[in-house]
Amino acid sequence: MNGLLGDFFGTFLRNRGAAAGLAVLALVGVAAATAGLLFPYSPWDMRGAPFMPPGEMEFLLGSDSLGRDVAAGIAYGARVSLLIGAVSTVVAVLLGITLGAVAGYAGGMVDDAIMRFTEFFQTVPSFMLAVVLVAIFSPSIGSIVAAIAIVSWPPVARVIRAEFLSLRSREFVHAAEVLGRSRTAIVFRVILPNALSPIIVLASLMVASAILLESGLSFLGLGDPNLISWGFMIGAGRSVIRIAWWMSVFPGIAIFLTVLALNLVGEGLSDALNPRLARRR
Amino acid sequence: MGGARFAGFLVQRVIKMVVMVFAIIVANFLLVHAAPGDPASVIAGEAGAADPQFLAQLRAQFGLDQPLSTQLWLYVSHVAQGDLGVSYRQQRPVLGLILERLSATLLLTGTAFILAVLGGVTLGALAARRVGRTSDSLITVLALALYATPIFWVGLMLVLVFSVWLDWLPSFGMNTVGADLTGGAAVLDTARYLLLPALTLGLFYMAVYARLTRAAMLEVASQDFVRTARAKGVPEGGVQRRHVLRNALLPVITVAGIQAGQLVGGSILVETVFAWPGIGRLAFDALLARDYQILLGVFLATSVLVLVFNLVTDLLYAWIDPRVEMT
Amino acid sequence: MSLLDVRNLTIALPPGAERAHAVEDVSFTLEAGEILCIVGESGSGKSVSTGAIMSLLPPALRVVQGSIGFEGRDLLRLKPAEMRLLRGSRIGMIFQEPMTALNPLMRVGEQIGEVLKVHGARGSAGRVQELINAVQLPDPDSIARSYPHLLSGGQRQRVMIAMALALEPAVLIADEPTTALDVTTQMQILGLIKEIQSRRGMGVLFITHDFGVVAEIADRVAVMQHGRIVEAGAATQVLNAPQHPYTQALIAAVPHRARALDAPPTGRPVLELIGVRKSYWRGGGLFSPRVKVPAVQDADLVLRKGETLGLVGESGSGKSTLARCVVNLVKPEEGTIRYHDTDLRRLMRRHWKPYRKRIQMVFQDPFASLNPRRRVGDIIAEGPMAHGMARASALRRADELLALVQLDAGAAERFPHEFSGGQRQRIGIARALALEPELLIADEPVSALDVSVQAQILALLEDLRQRLGLTMLFITHDLRVAAQVCGRVAVMQRGVIVEQGRTAEVFAAPQHPYTRSLLDSIPGRHWLPPVAQISDQGAVD
Repeated sequence: MNGLLGDFFGTFLRNRGAAAGLAVLALVGVAAATAGLLFPYSPWDMRGAPFMPPGEMEFLLGSDSLGRDVAAGIAYGARVSLLIGAVSTVVAVLLGITLGAVAGYAGGMVDDAIMRFTEFFQTVPSFMLAVVLVAIFSPSIGSIVAAIAIVSWPPVARVIRAEFLSLRSREFVHAAEVLGRSRTAIVFRVILPNALSPIIVLASLMVASAILLESGLSFLGLGDPNLISWGFMIGAGRSVIRIAWWMSVFPGIAIFLTVLALNLVGEGLSDALNPRLARRR
Repeated sequence: MGGARFAGFLVQRVIKMVVMVFAIIVANFLLVHAAPGDPASVIAGEAGAADPQFLAQLRAQFGLDQPLSTQLWLYVSHVAQGDLGVSYRQQRPVLGLILERLSATLLLTGTAFILAVLGGVTLGALAARRVGRTSDSLITVLALALYATPIFWVGLMLVLVFSVWLDWLPSFGMNTVGADLTGGAAVLDTARYLLLPALTLGLFYMAVYARLTRAAMLEVASQDFVRTARAKGVPEGGVQRRHVLRNALLPVITVAGIQAGQLVGGSILVETVFAWPGIGRLAFDALLARDYQILLGVFLATSVLVLVFNLVTDLLYAWIDPRVEMT
Repeated sequence: MSLLDVRNLTIALPPGAERAHAVEDVSFTLEAGEILCIVGESGSGKSVSTGAIMSLLPPALRVVQGSIGFEGRDLLRLKPAEMRLLRGSRIGMIFQEPMTALNPLMRVGEQIGEVLKVHGARGSAGRVQELINAVQLPDPDSIARSYPHLLSGGQRQRVMIAMALALEPAVLIADEPTTALDVTTQMQILGLIKEIQSRRGMGVLFITHDFGVVAEIADRVAVMQHGRIVEAGAATQVLNAPQHPYTQALIAAVPHRARALDAPPTGRPVLELIGVRKSYWRGGGLFSPRVKVPAVQDADLVLRKGETLGLVGESGSGKSTLARCVVNLVKPEEGTIRYHDTDLRRLMRRHWKPYRKRIQMVFQDPFASLNPRRRVGDIIAEGPMAHGMARASALRRADELLALVQLDAGAAERFPHEFSGGQRQRIGIARALALEPELLIADEPVSALDVSVQAQILALLEDLRQRLGLTMLFITHDLRVAAQVCGRVAVMQRGVIVEQGRTAEVFAAPQHPYTRSLLDSIPGRHWLPPVAQISDQGAVD
């Protein structure tokens, strides 16, 4: 695999945007991991006077309406964003691959049924569905991850199904069949490895939209009440934006940078994975 | 294009729509019953749960002591007759509340959509024409940045800049309270209030359409029939308009249909930020009050909106692309 | 004065390409009233030379030097606006792929009218229909109102010709216009081009890789290799007495009826197909019933031990479907597929495994038939391992097979994308032979290859067949290939086997009208390639 992997990383890193995105993500990861060291107190602790502008007293990014440290909130919030983004994406991808592979390989009525099911989830407004789910099942990190996963899996299923349908009639799959390989071997060892590269790109974009979804939910007050998150901070700063703009601006910048970084990494992945496929003769 | 073929297509699509609405209603029903706690208190919401009389009334109305299938039937028939329940807090039928505010949301999402499509397609086409040059890079970076920002934050930043710091535009509501304007003045007034929220909702999707149009045009430009057009001596403008753009619009229409759900869903965030009196705002208030009847009602209403919009985009696509099989 | 005068044309490739120039110091002329064929294999630079004439090259290719004289002007020195005026009006061009050459969203009549309108001529409906008539399409009114996807490949190519010739240009450039068409359609299109050309006295620049086409229509020929013209002259001269070694090798590679009149096979039947029928269902929805499309109907054939039976037909004839029925890739709904004493059609999927060792297949597309993510050694070892062989022995076997197909041992460590088309086809053959099959089904194994590579692969298959005692079912649309390779041949048309018998007999005295029209459609069928004086040099794969 060395030849392929080396090729891949080379192309990826040569894309400046993707490299920058990777760097930003690393920073965010470091912030999340060292939040406890940088801010050895709970982000919910009142650390001083409320509405302190950034730079005053010891508040790097200012303090909120209850005197809490905005910078600490951002560092600890990074944990929530990355955690929820990653876990809900993994669940959504697993769900999507399973349903998509079954639909694509089995065909016929099974395919039809799964496609109607997928269509349902793609028709209803996904954010609204997430809101309804989290509201009804009480906001908690579990219900948020589940809700985001439930509204995010359809594109994965669609892509995997499309890949399966196209690969199923590709000659090297026919060859595997004629050689006498078992059905499971064909699905898992011939088709699936070739179907996965669009999913890798899709997954990084899905983490980005999961983070956006989570921030929207906590902005509306549907976040886990025990965990501080960037969306919640923006929501808390909404009504006092005239006197404390930093409460809304900085968490938003954090979301912006993280999501942008993920999108850049996703595009870099897409470029790196495609030239190999396009290289013929 | 055969009128009968079209009619058949339309009928088929409408039937699919009805089935989908039915599925959503059933999903609503299942959600109510899957929630932790007694379905009656879920339906009643926070305020209503305190009132035993209201609870008893609900139990009877929804037949909560009967088998599940009967309950489902009751629920569906209620909804089919337009009875989406009653909000205890507001003491009014949910359907009435929704219909009242529907026009405000339609105005907002409609304007945002038009902004997004017109702006996005224009910018995307421009970027594709000048691929590799500075204007292309600028547009691509701008689109990338807009695509990464949460909608509600963009709204707040716009409020910060244009309302708080510059004081050019109002920051909440739909029209000036107490001004009692009519005719042209009223329209202008509403437009002032509409600008920031529509821009907020529209900018994100403008980025989506810009990237999509650019990618689609670059893809189409490399196809054989474009080379044929050039070989015929068609001037570059004609090649771009008649051959490239027309074909590039097809994926844009498809994606517009898919994005509709997100656009309508995004209105809940924008209406909350700008206190815009639409169904999104209604849903937010219902969230705070735990009035799940309203919430589910809004969910149904927004889904129907998306379905109608999808129907329109499907028809548009089928009208433009003669390869779509209508039966 | 010549109609078109290309002198010292040199076009550079972007850095990092396999050579510095796409075309180097290329010179040729085209006279009015003649057809000049430019022949070469892929990568020879033939398309680039003609693309430069119309200034339709991709921006990455730069013209370094040269001139193209046309009607008193140097086309390479023209401004873009002036060039545009010439395109379509004085010089017309048609391309290779008719299926993607028309705008799918515009009606055919509109597209033909477009070429008239952009040059200021009247694009009336009547004029458009005249043009459609001139390319021998029936029912011009309905064609004009149709969208492209409703037309067949041959019909679309005629529309392209109509568009290219609408303003009666002096020169027509045809870039492999019949390569993607069926052989009978190809003959019709070639006839159409010849007829229009002679009627109007146009000059036609015709690019092809097929010497048969050259024999059919060319007045003069230019042979290109690696961006240079290696030989040029009158068609009769070049075809019958080629001077340059490359030309000689190319002509030698054209399959010819060198197959000795074998004794009729007397071995026992290995494969017997009786009454096989396979249909597909198409369409169906809420308002219309599904339509049954028969792909194979009542196919009967017998394949005896040690022989090579050719299954010949155009696209849509059902030959590939029939082959897939034999290996259980598709399930026929009726009939008997008897392999020795077993009816394969009645076998359940789990009982097929032992037969996989005895019946194997080589596929058509060298780029799609190998798993891009596996090393070549693993690809060949896949089969034996699936049948229980240990990995180490399977890989050793793979090395042996690579030697058998004349690839170096190091190939086992590399990935498919590092090999050329011909080399990948050798790998595909090695993979099929890994299980030591008795029956080998070759589904158009050389159709996607250049003609010189094709000859090598056919020679390899013949060598292997004799050495390993294989029985072969050889599927092809190319009658020349069938004549060279197969002792017996079966002709298929629309799912039915219309004629079968010994190749020499069928070709000399065809009974069925379809067979006759197929044979009549072989381009240059009256030309016998000079088999003598062949040098051993040629394109090395």
